[in-house]
Amino acid sequence: MTFHKGQLVRVKGRSSDESWESYMDSLVGSRGMVTDPDTQINDPDSLIEVSLEDKGTFRLPQDCLEILD
Amino acid sequence: MSENTCPVHQTLLELRAFPSTHRIVHPRSRRLVEEIATLIEDIVTSRAGGEHLPSIAARADELVGFAGDSGGMAAGAWLRERLTEHAEVFRSHVEHRNCAASVCDHLTPAPCQMACPAGIDVPTYVSLIALGHDDEAIEVIRRDNPLPWVCGLVCTRPCEMMCVRKRLDTPVSIKFLKAFAAERAMSWGCYDNPPQAPASGRKVCVIGAGPGGLSAAYYLAQHGHTVRVIEALPRAGGMILVGIPRYRLPSDIIDREVAKIEDLGVEFRYNTRFGKDVDLDSLRAEGFEAFFFAIGAHASYSLGIEGENDFPQVHGAVDFLQRVALGERRCPGKHVVVIGGGNVAIDAARTCLRLGSQQVTIAYRRTRREMPADHEEVEQAEEEGIHFELLTVPMAVVGEEGRVTALRCLKAKLVTVPGSNRQSPKPIEGSDYEIPADAIISAIGQRIERQWFDKIPELAWTHRDTIRVNTITMETSVPGIFAAGDAVTGPATVIEAIGGGKRAAMAIDRYLGAIPQPKLPPVPVRQQRVACFDVPANTKMALKRPEMPLLGIDRRRTTFQQVELGYSENQTREEARRCLRCDICRRCGKCVTICKEKMGVDALALGYLSFEHPEESDFRRTEQRCISCGACAANCPTGAMRIEDRGNERVLSLCGTVLNRQPLIACSSCGTVIGTERYLAYIRGRLGKLAAKIDPAGQLCDACARNKGHHRPDTVMVTG
Repeated sequence: MTFHKGQLVRVKGRSSDESWESYMDSLVGSRGMVTDPDTQINDPDSLIEVSLEDKGTFRLPQDCLEILD
Repeated sequence: MSENTCPVHQTLLELRAFPSTHRIVHPRSRRLVEEIATLIEDIVTSRAGGEHLPSIAARADELVGFAGDSGGMAAGAWLRERLTEHAEVFRSHVEHRNCAASVCDHLTPAPCQMACPAGIDVPTYVSLIALGHDDEAIEVIRRDNPLPWVCGLVCTRPCEMMCVRKRLDTPVSIKFLKAFAAERAMSWGCYDNPPQAPASGRKVCVIGAGPGGLSAAYYLAQHGHTVRVIEALPRAGGMILVGIPRYRLPSDIIDREVAKIEDLGVEFRYNTRFGKDVDLDSLRAEGFEAFFFAIGAHASYSLGIEGENDFPQVHGAVDFLQRVALGERRCPGKHVVVIGGGNVAIDAARTCLRLGSQQVTIAYRRTRREMPADHEEVEQAEEEGIHFELLTVPMAVVGEEGRVTALRCLKAKLVTVPGSNRQSPKPIEGSDYEIPADAIISAIGQRIERQWFDKIPELAWTHRDTIRVNTITMETSVPGIFAAGDAVTGPATVIEAIGGGKRAAMAIDRYLGAIPQPKLPPVPVRQQRVACFDVPANTKMALKRPEMPLLGIDRRRTTFQQVELGYSENQTREEARRCLRCDICRRCGKCVTICKEKMGVDALALGYLSFEHPEESDFRRTEQRCISCGACAANCPTGAMRIEDRGNERVLSLCGTVLNRQPLIACSSCGTVIGTERYLAYIRGRLGKLAAKIDPAGQLCDACARNKGHHRPDTVMVTG
């Protein structure tokens, strides 16, 4: 699994995944924490829950995230 | 606190008071005023789109043009004036999402509240729990989440992940505090439903009685809509009933929460499957105008290995857990192997143990570090005696005469695949071996049972086989059909499903009222601002998060009794007092900068204010160094840092944490308070040779010093 619960992450850019919606563009550059990675099967394709500082909690595709720590 | 006024925010406040202050009596006018208030609330919370302002203007015109209610006409005329007078400000809020007065920004919720997918006002309810007001705490929680007791036991607690106290030591135990308050409020008979709007005459059908469906039903019923929930299972709860074992969440708790939702007039129809017993056409024929799908992800993925379909002792984890949840108590086998490393695998393994299995093994293809299950769950499973076979890849189910005898596996090693940043298990040739087993449970993920939607071909799906929605409103590709929960996200969390259900309910209400939908996700609402209460700095630092008391290990291995026994009352109140009140302190760091760089004192060790690079934090340091100048409090934009004179002391506090107390010195001549000894010494230090010598008779205030200076030219006034 690439992402673990509690990891600091940053939204590094838009995702080409179909789950990316236009309002999510405003999340690019935000920092936050992985609050619920894929807890079932370590699927790199699954959406993971990330809480972003001052933005809220979102379920995002993994390819738009980078680990900070 | 900011003294600024925001015209948009002010309009909202005044508009909400309008119906009572201006006697708006006609239902049509009242409805219009409510709709306008909803639209302005969108603007204040940064959720509005381009059509919001025209919609408000159109509704204001409608109010003015409706001669049947003079109060409504006055409201419309007043609104038109506001919109014209403050047109630029309204536009700035909508187009640039900017409140120049910083009033709307001032409502920025705490990180814990922002982190909660349901947007619960955590600092408020934690503060109420600290004060012993558990019933009020539950009232606050239930404005955003109809299932506080359930979440108090099984929430994945994103709030705790973002808790600022975690940067200091450990996060506040928000989840367990909620469970305590819920149990107490239910026991007191104070678990009340909020007031409902008058019946709207509109009918909404909720498909699925899981957390998402229950949440939507709760909010829709509050809006006065007639709600029917249809559920394929014989009881309500969905995945929280059949996916979470009873030792984590007793079913009585689900029943009590569901009963509260039933009290709102929600009708439940069990043993009714959508796509089989009812469909869209039959429900539309009954008068339902909107539909909410929260069907969960109840089907297990298959392993795809040899022998998987040849033996009745091979089970899907979800089916197995469901049968146990609905009353089956048959032991699946003496030696059970559970395949998978997620929470469902752990739940299935621990359930087998409680049903009497002698040896339960979890086979997982990566290492312990990569196991996606919650760390606490893995630990508890190990304590109970679950055995882990790691770096193990299942190859085939082995058996004879219709009975499973073993699981054939290969050992694996983790290798980095070129082009990937994750390590993958690579089977080691010739390492095959067998784990003896008479039952095998596959827990490698869940999927949605899509076949029930075949009759809705226009419903769009994602490549993940989940229902495609707009995640702001949870609208699907079919007008009038909304969806949330695992059916949309894939297997996810209870609190996400609850938040999705709430969002969908709001969107359905707008859909029925033909009100434009928001263009951004909701910003959590701060329900109230509980006054800070004093906690000494020493206590704030010394209080530690209590360990959760657990049921004895033998009882855990043999029964389905709840494992986590809950905090005592004393533990609960003390734990709640650890909260740093981030709803008031926005961690801007101005206080630290002023103290260190402007005053040169450096009395505030508040390293936790930084999200990314928290440094040393110690509230106790302030007492050693603070001069009680008050510069930090004077520059605090939110009133979090306060300095005040109480009796003969000057007290500095940050959100109630008492950082410093110093005795006050009074003017020896007139008795006026002139500061603390440290502060006066600091001033004397800054003045150097210009400072007056301390009069043995005592220190003087400015006025007395000035008066005395007329008679004694060597006296220099001490100024602040």
